[in-house]
Amino acid sequence: MAVEKILLHNVDKPNSHKLDTYLAGGGYEDLRKALAMGRDDLVQLVKDSGLRGRGGAGFPAGLKWSFIPKDPSLQKYLCCNADEGEPGTFKDRIIIEKDPHLLIEGMAITCHAINSDKSYIYIRGEFEYGAQILEQAIEEAYEKGYLGKNIMGTDFSLDMYVHRGYGAYICGEETALLESIEGYRGQPRKKPPFPALAGLNGKPTVINNVESLACIPGIIRKGSKWFANMGPEKSPGPKLFCVSGHIEKPGVYELPMGTTGREIIYEVCGGIKAGRKFKAVIPGGVTAPMLVEKDLDLSMDFDTMAQAGSMLGSGAVIVMDDTTCMVRTSYIINRFFSHESCGKCTPCREGTIWMTQILERMENGEGRPGDVEELERLCDNIFGRTFCPLGDGAVMALRGCLKHFREEFVYHVENGRCMVKGGF
Amino acid sequence: MVEAVDDKLILEIDGKEVRVPFGTLILDAAKEVDVTIPTFCYQARLSGIGSCRMCIVEIEGQKKLQPACITPVMDGMKIATNSETVVSARRSMLEFLLSNHAKDCPVCDKAGECELQDMVYSHGQRKSKFEEKKISLHVKDYIISPVIIKNSNRCVQCVRCVRVCREVVGRGVLGSVGRGAYQEETSFRKGELDCDSCGMCIEVCPVGCFMRLPYRYKARPWDLKSAISVCPYCATGCKTTLQERDGEVVRSIAFKGLGFNDWLMCARGRFGYDILNSDKRLTKPLRKKGDGFEEISWSEAMGMISAEFAKTSPEKRGGVATASLPNEELFFFQKLMREAMGTPNLDSTSRWSGDTAGAYMAATAINEGGRTIYKAVNSDTVFVLGTQLSEENPVIDYIVRHVTDSGRSNLVIVSPRAMKLDATAHQSLRHTPGELAKFLNALILCLYEGDAGGLASLEEVGLSSKVSIAELAKLAGVTVDELRQLSMRLKRSETISILAGTDILKLDQGARGLRLLKLALEAMGKRLRILPILDRANQRGAWGMGVHPSLGPGFSPLSDDEKGLDCYGMLEAAAAGEMDLMYVIGEDIAGMYPDRAFAEDALSKVGFLIVQETFMTDTALKADLILPGALAGEKTGTFTNQVGRVQNLAPIQSPPGGARIDLDIMGDIASTVSKGFMDDGCTDIFGCIQKVVPSYLNIDNKSTGKDCGSVISTDVSLEAFFNVAESPGAVPTEEYPLRLITGNHLFYSGNLSSYSDILGSLLKEPVAEVGPETAKALGLEDGQNINVASEGYLDSFRLKISKGTPAGVVFIAENYEDKPINRFFKRGETIPLVKITS
Repeated sequence: MAVEKILLHNVDKPNSHKLDTYLAGGGYEDLRKALAMGRDDLVQLVKDSGLRGRGGAGFPAGLKWSFIPKDPSLQKYLCCNADEGEPGTFKDRIIIEKDPHLLIEGMAITCHAINSDKSYIYIRGEFEYGAQILEQAIEEAYEKGYLGKNIMGTDFSLDMYVHRGYGAYICGEETALLESIEGYRGQPRKKPPFPALAGLNGKPTVINNVESLACIPGIIRKGSKWFANMGPEKSPGPKLFCVSGHIEKPGVYELPMGTTGREIIYEVCGGIKAGRKFKAVIPGGVTAPMLVEKDLDLSMDFDTMAQAGSMLGSGAVIVMDDTTCMVRTSYIINRFFSHESCGKCTPCREGTIWMTQILERMENGEGRPGDVEELERLCDNIFGRTFCPLGDGAVMALRGCLKHFREEFVYHVENGRCMVKGGF
Repeated sequence: MVEAVDDKLILEIDGKEVRVPFGTLILDAAKEVDVTIPTFCYQARLSGIGSCRMCIVEIEGQKKLQPACITPVMDGMKIATNSETVVSARRSMLEFLLSNHAKDCPVCDKAGECELQDMVYSHGQRKSKFEEKKISLHVKDYIISPVIIKNSNRCVQCVRCVRVCREVVGRGVLGSVGRGAYQEETSFRKGELDCDSCGMCIEVCPVGCFMRLPYRYKARPWDLKSAISVCPYCATGCKTTLQERDGEVVRSIAFKGLGFNDWLMCARGRFGYDILNSDKRLTKPLRKKGDGFEEISWSEAMGMISAEFAKTSPEKRGGVATASLPNEELFFFQKLMREAMGTPNLDSTSRWSGDTAGAYMAATAINEGGRTIYKAVNSDTVFVLGTQLSEENPVIDYIVRHVTDSGRSNLVIVSPRAMKLDATAHQSLRHTPGELAKFLNALILCLYEGDAGGLASLEEVGLSSKVSIAELAKLAGVTVDELRQLSMRLKRSETISILAGTDILKLDQGARGLRLLKLALEAMGKRLRILPILDRANQRGAWGMGVHPSLGPGFSPLSDDEKGLDCYGMLEAAAAGEMDLMYVIGEDIAGMYPDRAFAEDALSKVGFLIVQETFMTDTALKADLILPGALAGEKTGTFTNQVGRVQNLAPIQSPPGGARIDLDIMGDIASTVSKGFMDDGCTDIFGCIQKVVPSYLNIDNKSTGKDCGSVISTDVSLEAFFNVAESPGAVPTEEYPLRLITGNHLFYSGNLSSYSDILGSLLKEPVAEVGPETAKALGLEDGQNINVASEGYLDSFRLKISKGTPAGVVFIAENYEDKPINRFFKRGETIPLVKITS
């Protein structure tokens, strides 16, 4: 499937992270163009493009920007969410490490649109290399006047800071991210007030994912129509899919939104590893309930995935073949959630670890009659009652697995071992 | 949908209609219709976090259940708090909370008064399905302060402890460590805290996670006998519930909803109760014998008094009763002195002169009746002046922090040294110790810059405008910019509350300056409230009862013939051999009078010194006769707190051994010295008080548990006291370059607190505090041992560097045992000059 690369335009070039390389490919011209535009026009352009947040929730980006108060006396912030914590996701990383100026340009344009002069990139602690690259790129941009005072001779000024996280999944949740930048313990805040009104330091704040921001220069260059016409009407544009698992050619692929799972697995990524049989796929990071064979022809976009009872999430496609034991998979996923539960609210803090303990027993062949029902009961007691979506995510993942593969869980309890043969 | 009327939102909770203002939380709206929603993490005065999920309710049209404690109501909402979904959600939350809870109720101190137990009883399920291994955060309980022990395995993660420490106490020494089920609220590296040891974390803990170390394994709540009393350690007047088991008082506790302090209390109030059962209490009358004392009976003691009294003449008699006695006893004391002993010489303190006290009373308009602290802190500007609030009146510090931090008021602090509240203040000024009057003078000049007419009228009442602002500022140790900024804040405020503390009484005659500031601000049309901030529990009551050499009961001014000597005057008379008899109740003159050598000498020259005490103080050691008295937890009566609120005391125990209630002792002495004095039988002393002290007319002293009321205004004038002469400030010399200031410590206030073993364990080592500049100039490091020397005295201390204390100032707290800091003073000196050597 040959498509024009917008987000991964530069990544294969030598020294792609350098400003010179970026400028040679027409870099920062979109910022120049954007600075000549009115703020409202810019917001409208992004609204028209139909760009939906690439972090996972799929909230319309232009709409989010339009919530920012216009009062010029108010300090406003842009925070780039580069926490990329969802297991299976590694799309932001490639932009950060290989094309940091694309992100910086996208952020500069966004800051102009919301009239902000201070922006933060909240990058996950493990991305030490990425943070270094970003720091260097920001320095280059300052030197050449793409950041700092009076950018390109206009009255627009912008400062940009890299803020490294300390290894908590929850800090990818936007309000926990803000707490973390402010120097507090990373735990979600109550909403309302939403960050657009009271975010970082209590001031209006836009929080966008790396990939969303990287889409912005392209929209300026090629126009909102070009973007809106790519893929499904209600969730258009290019999308980075991170394909991993039992697959021949794992990696990050830029494809139009709406590509089907079958196309991704069999046409783009060369099929299931070693010619084995497809069993299930997680379409958008471990939070997204898994899909099975019959769902493979569905369009991979926000709305279709939601209708199918799953979610597009971050576009982390995790493929599993027929050697995969779903009890073990659920155990691993759940262990992740209980490890990452921030501890703030009762059902997530106590519930996820309880589920993990049951799954661990099952996996070790110590399952007891009633365990499966107990897991289902715990799912009911957690879901919809937690403070933030983390607990719900744990339940969605487990429920998704139980929905399609309940018999494997029952088998594990009754026989103390996997139903699948030969493997993982 | 229903329409909103009167700016109120109309909604439905469990089918009942509720009308509440915009912004009301569902939880509070539910209370309006008597619907109780269970909560854990919610605490009315703390920030809402909505984390425990106990209070989740169902809102029609919303998919997820919403926490009632952080969700504001909306017009037309239909809320169900008891639907099947909600009840089962609640049940499941309790099941979750119990899943990793230690469930060691049989050995838990909290059992019986545990919110988790109560909640499970009322909302939980009989059986949990949890059959996994419990997470254990630690094996043994661990100590994080000499008074706090912790068991995190019982924690329900409500985080009230962390929030109260940060938002109310202002220390922020607790935090959450770990994540998920391994989260634990504790101190840095679980080590011993450098904290205020106030125990607020214990008080707010719903379970047995934070516990009182001194109370550990001592009792079950249902075995405790309680008495509601008032904390004796400062004049804030916190209600405290003393609880005893088998004759030993085991804890003092602040109950939610009881007293204005509600659930607030400081280390002294919460842990200073052990003086009641101290083995150092005096239990028998003692007669001087050689260098020591011998036990005698009460009748022998009265016989001695009778014999000695006959040898004395009225003008050579005198008495000092501490301001920590209840009103009834103080009233009777002045009656005893004035009528039975026939002497006008009486006072309630040895720390300042009667005239200074008078000027302070006048400046703070103490005769104008009571105030409320909550109203006061809700002013546009709260002006803290001449008080080390954070250490002297910690609960007022909590209230001020909490209210001003939420952005409703402007907080300004003027003090000679740093305090915890500085972190919350919008402006903190450091003036030179002893130069408060000059500071206030300069401030008034700033306020009236460009208003010559206004200034002229202030000059008529005594303002000096000859010296320039710049010069005054320099003398007061502040900058003109700081003064202008403060003046601007005051100008912009409509309502101003001044919290005026005891530094005004001790350091100089700042009372005059305060009075001028009052006149100046009132002339500008500001609504002004001045609140006295005092350190002895019933100081305001003592003055009101007439325990003052120039004021009778109800602040009635005495004629010159009727006026007597204050404590200063009595000591001077004694030193000259002119004091035949002194009757001292509870006041440690030798320990507190600012010149110990002089006080000890004077006391030893008193013809017959009667000291009525609960402990063997330095003053008692000088006595010819010691009478064992009682403490606040052993008697009935009333205290009037600093803002004029009258509160009842209830006894939790009888005085130990042969010790007696002070009022009874005084009654016996009255009959001894004046036959038939007690016959006219004023059995209802409070009724007698009300006859002569009009400001107590509306007080109901029979009211139990609740307030008795607040004192009202009387039409007496205290203007005459403003004629006091100002004392000169201290000018540092090359040899003695530092000014020494003294005052109460967070863990000590008044000599009584120094007999508390628990409070003693909080701070074993006496410290001297200096600012970082002084330390640097002297090459000193935090924690090292130093010597502090004045011309006549030298003692060693541990150095503490406190950020924010200006150069050239040393602070040492009063009431350290074995550190008689009044030895640094020489009579007539308000600010001793000292030097520090390593």
